[in-house]
Amino acid sequence: MAQSANLIHVENLKKHYNKGAVRALDGITVDVNVGDVLVIIGPSGSGKSTLLRSLNLLETPTEGSIFFHDVEITKKKTRVETVNPKTGKKSSKMVKINIDDHRQKMGMVFQHFNLFPHKTILENMTLAPVKVKKMDKKAAEEKAMQLLARVGLTDKANAYPIQLSGGQKQRVAIVRALAMEPEVMLFDEPTSALDPEMVGEVLEVMKELAKEGMTMAVVTHEMGFAREVGNRVLFMDEGKIVEEGTPDEIFNHPKHPRLQDFLAKVL
Amino acid sequence: MKGFITQVGFEKTFKYAEMIKEGLIVTILLSIFTVVIGFILGIILAIMRLSDVRPFRFLSLDKNGRLRGNGILLTISKFNPLSFLATAYVEIIRSTPVLVQIMIIYLGVFSQLIKLPRFTLFGFIRFERFFPGVVALGINSGAYLCEIIRSGIQSIDGGQTEAARSLGMSQGKTMSNIILPQALRNILPAIANEFVVIIKESSITYTIGVADIMAAVNAVRGATFLVMEPLLVATALYFLLCFPTSKLIAYFERRMSRGTKR
Ligand SMILES: Nc1ncnc2c1ncn2[C@@H]1O[C@H](COP(=O)(O)OP(=O)(O)OP(=O)(O)O)[C@@H](O)[C@H]1O
Ligand SMILES: [Mg+2]
Repeated sequence: MAQSANLIHVENLKKHYNKGAVRALDGITVDVNVGDVLVIIGPSGSGKSTLLRSLNLLETPTEGSIFFHDVEITKKKTRVETVNPKTGKKSSKMVKINIDDHRQKMGMVFQHFNLFPHKTILENMTLAPVKVKKMDKKAAEEKAMQLLARVGLTDKANAYPIQLSGGQKQRVAIVRALAMEPEVMLFDEPTSALDPEMVGEVLEVMKELAKEGMTMAVVTHEMGFAREVGNRVLFMDEGKIVEEGTPDEIFNHPKHPRLQDFLAKVL
Repeated sequence: MKGFITQVGFEKTFKYAEMIKEGLIVTILLSIFTVVIGFILGIILAIMRLSDVRPFRFLSLDKNGRLRGNGILLTISKFNPLSFLATAYVEIIRSTPVLVQIMIIYLGVFSQLIKLPRFTLFGFIRFERFFPGVVALGINSGAYLCEIIRSGIQSIDGGQTEAARSLGMSQGKTMSNIILPQALRNILPAIANEFVVIIKESSITYTIGVADIMAAVNAVRGATFLVMEPLLVATALYFLLCFPTSKLIAYFERRMSRGTKR
């Protein structure tokens, strides 16, 4: 495969449950390009979460491939080209794919925050950088404090997750993922479990992130966000991508009857 | 009749205070070593039971690389030898009397298979009896602690694992940093209860000659022909060990629950 702008390339992805009786994903092909804010919409059970969770292999696909930086992470091994610095000779060898290495580069934010309740906010944010990236603890804490300042939660550094509101928890979850300096952020309905008055503060953080050029894939029911922040929108139904386009195309000129139907219900 | 329980009887009993004190120390050490062994064994067994080691996994795919719908090969592909061994261990231990297990360990394993050196610790603990006692009790409580730890691990929300793995943490790091600390906190009351059970159950080791509280009291009975007084002393000692232990752990449990309760 040639070097390309897509960060993630999904090829004919399928995820079946109960021996094929449930087709959560039924042949998905899609690219996520650097700088994209890809918004995924669709009715409940259409496979949005399954698709997002497949991208970092929290779900193991039944069939199909996912490429991240042109490495097929759905395989067990990959061929790596190396150039001998002395002789300039090229050679290649098979190396095992360690999914943990790739997951570090894909931050994920969940509907139910999934903060670690037995750790303080600061510990939540420094754990992976220290344990996985082997970052110096001091440096990790400094970085975490900067990130907390960005979302206005400096004073919560030593609190436990239980002491935070839903909106605060989700903002922490976002910066916890950012602390690993990911190349792409995956959001699965990040505001669906929030009280209405807290939705705004979380969307605001996500908007900021998009402005800074972060590549994002967002499953959401917030059509306002999709319109305003997204640059591409996918409409999924029954495990398939039914329609794909710019927010303008999807929201103002929907073609497929099922999309028209869906929009009529949610807008 | 010289009276059911008499002061003289207690006075006679307390002449053997030194022996009873040594018995008390033996019981305490026996229980601590047992719970440590049982706990380590329990964690290993629990992780084995929850592991996903399937050497015949490849059999689940047919020639075209598709998942088989059913059949004997699919069943074989799901076989997990680690989980099978751990489950068998737990079920066998839980379905047989601890007395039989102790006899097998002491009379079988450590008298015939392995020869233990004969020496005494602190001048009164006979190693060649104490050690098999600890091993047998540890093997026994490991099975019970396995089930406690397993349920604790399974009670942790799957979102915790997903969050940790999505941050790039390996399965092992997720287990040791995220799942186990939370699971252990949740099961602390059950572990405390098991510890109390071990203190009480350790009295059975007097049958293989471990000089614990029960053995000391029996010796006093034999020497003085008293019945109730030595037994009441044993009752008091076991109560004084068990009751504060459960209270103490309840206290730590409340202190450790910060983070889960406001
Ligand atoms: N573990 C599972 N076992 C069986 N079926 C499953 C499993 N997980 C998901 N499914 C099914 O897969 C389909 C897609 O689920 P998914 O969670 O991806 O939908 P979704 O679009 O995220 O829906 P929602 O908007 O409700 O979150 C659904 O029909 C669901 O019932
Ligand atoms: Mg979902």
